[in-house]
Amino acid sequence: MKCLQLIIGPAGSGKSTYCSVMFDHFQSLHRPLEIVNLDPAAETFNYTPSVDIRDLISVDDVLEDEDIIMGPNGGLVFCMEYISKNMEWIHDQLTDGDDAYVMVDCPGQIELYSHLPIMKEIVTTFKSWDYNVCTLFMIDAHFVLEPEKLIAGALTALSSMISLETSAVNVLTKMDQLPRESKKEVEDMLESDCSQLVNGVNDEPWNERHAALSRAIASVLDDYSMFKMVALDNTDEESIEDLLLMIDTTIQYGEDAEVHDRIPKEVDPNEE
Amino acid sequence: MAESTASSSKQVPSEMPSSPLAGSSDGPNPDLAPSVIVLGMAGSGKTSFVQRLTAHLHAKKTPPYVVNLDPAVPYPVNIDIRDTVKYKQVMTEYGLGPNGAILTSLNLFCTRFDKVIELVRARSSTVPLTIIDTPGQIEAFTWSASGTIITEALASSHPTVVIYVCDSARATSPATFMSNMLYACSILYRTKLPFFVVFNKADIVRPTFAQRWMTDFERFDEALEDSRGGYSNDLARSLSLVLDEFYCGLKTVICSALTGEGMDEVLTAIDECKQQYRDQYIPLYAEMRAKKVEETAKRLREDAKMGDLTSEVKALDVGRVRDSDDENE
Repeated sequence: MKCLQLIIGPAGSGKSTYCSVMFDHFQSLHRPLEIVNLDPAAETFNYTPSVDIRDLISVDDVLEDEDIIMGPNGGLVFCMEYISKNMEWIHDQLTDGDDAYVMVDCPGQIELYSHLPIMKEIVTTFKSWDYNVCTLFMIDAHFVLEPEKLIAGALTALSSMISLETSAVNVLTKMDQLPRESKKEVEDMLESDCSQLVNGVNDEPWNERHAALSRAIASVLDDYSMFKMVALDNTDEESIEDLLLMIDTTIQYGEDAEVHDRIPKEVDPNEE
Repeated sequence: MAESTASSSKQVPSEMPSSPLAGSSDGPNPDLAPSVIVLGMAGSGKTSFVQRLTAHLHAKKTPPYVVNLDPAVPYPVNIDIRDTVKYKQVMTEYGLGPNGAILTSLNLFCTRFDKVIELVRARSSTVPLTIIDTPGQIEAFTWSASGTIITEALASSHPTVVIYVCDSARATSPATFMSNMLYACSILYRTKLPFFVVFNKADIVRPTFAQRWMTDFERFDEALEDSRGGYSNDLARSLSLVLDEFYCGLKTVICSALTGEGMDEVLTAIDECKQQYRDQYIPLYAEMRAKKVEETAKRLREDAKMGDLTSEVKALDVGRVRDSDDENE
């Protein structure tokens, strides 16, 4: 089974950092991992991508080309359209074995997901190569320190989820950078039901006015096991493991693997 | 809190001894001319919308005050981020890509935002409203520390309204429409400001379909059914129920930046929102202001990796003072 994690999220939300953390983690687990950098405007990252889209096209190429006059955003869209038409270029560089596990580090612009069909097309192409795709939406935990902000984050993530039509895990990044009390607050919020959170907010006029809406959102978030939100602390090995476990479950990694090196020996092999 | 205000004044190299929220030092004033923050996905026609609204107000002999926060787009306005920050130079100087450069420009501009608020407030007796155009990539404003600071600094000074510009021509597919509305809803929750949606580009596609979807849940459900296959349909349907609730309290205006249709309705909506601000936000903001903006300002400084430096300087200063005290004794 071929697995693919699609890493998306706003600029500065920690997509590339996540990739480099997972890169190290996979190496220590001796699990194969290929990383594809799909952001033609990427600057630097501390992992070694197996495929770097900037070898094919970069935003700078487009901006410097005198025949194409475009702003930075138009340039990015131009690149992404070019990429979606040249997906074979990526395919050729992947090992594409049965146990391939790929991470795709995507550009952050939300427009590519909810405004234009480009990312959808790219995801469809990956699916057509038999990859099980799971979307990881990165959100900077600094921006979700209150229930209302957490809801805002969830809605942003849902907005991309709806258009991509893949399974998804939402990751709150940079937990290690939060002050201890904020970290605790975020963890508490994630543990409790959304409905409880919504009922717990104070009775400002704004909250009262939107109470019905908040409750409706909360009930969807609670009822949908498809919507998962996990906090990630890059410095905590356990936090990384927990997240990976959740992604692997979502993506159905290893369900058909014949040799599963992480299953203890006493498990009955007939159950596989 | 006092300490962080002090350290922020150190990094602002000017005679203004203040943090970005100095303009609000005398509290929110609901009687000033409102500021309108125009948000929207790249290519939804924000800038054209701003230009058309400006022209419309000029024609009425009540020209607005226009602020441009998009470092990558040149057009004539009253306050331009590009006068303060040179986008191309930021790119080369800090070795950043186009995205990073937009964020950094906005962060840099943010350190001078107290000046902007001062100017806007000074103008507010002579202009009907202040229009603020935001960077093309929406998350540079909605999911950045500087965007939060700018929004909250404005809202804690005078009436502030958020307009979400939606591209009608691109919203014809139910999934895109839904995705757009979810994003709009998330902005509502993030900013907690009076808010309305503008369906732009009505000259290309009449957004009556959108209004029908918004008023009649079943019709939207049908459209959704037709356009999607299996997998997340269930989620989509539940979400459309949520959005139904969202639409109830939502004001929408159909307009076209090309033909100028709907501009008077936009102005009426802004007036309504101004009233909302007075009723709901004054009590809220009076309380939240001091606490929140300080927190974010602190975070921004950390982001810019200036926090360490300034606190070190501060520690040194304190040390020095103590030394001299000892000597005196």
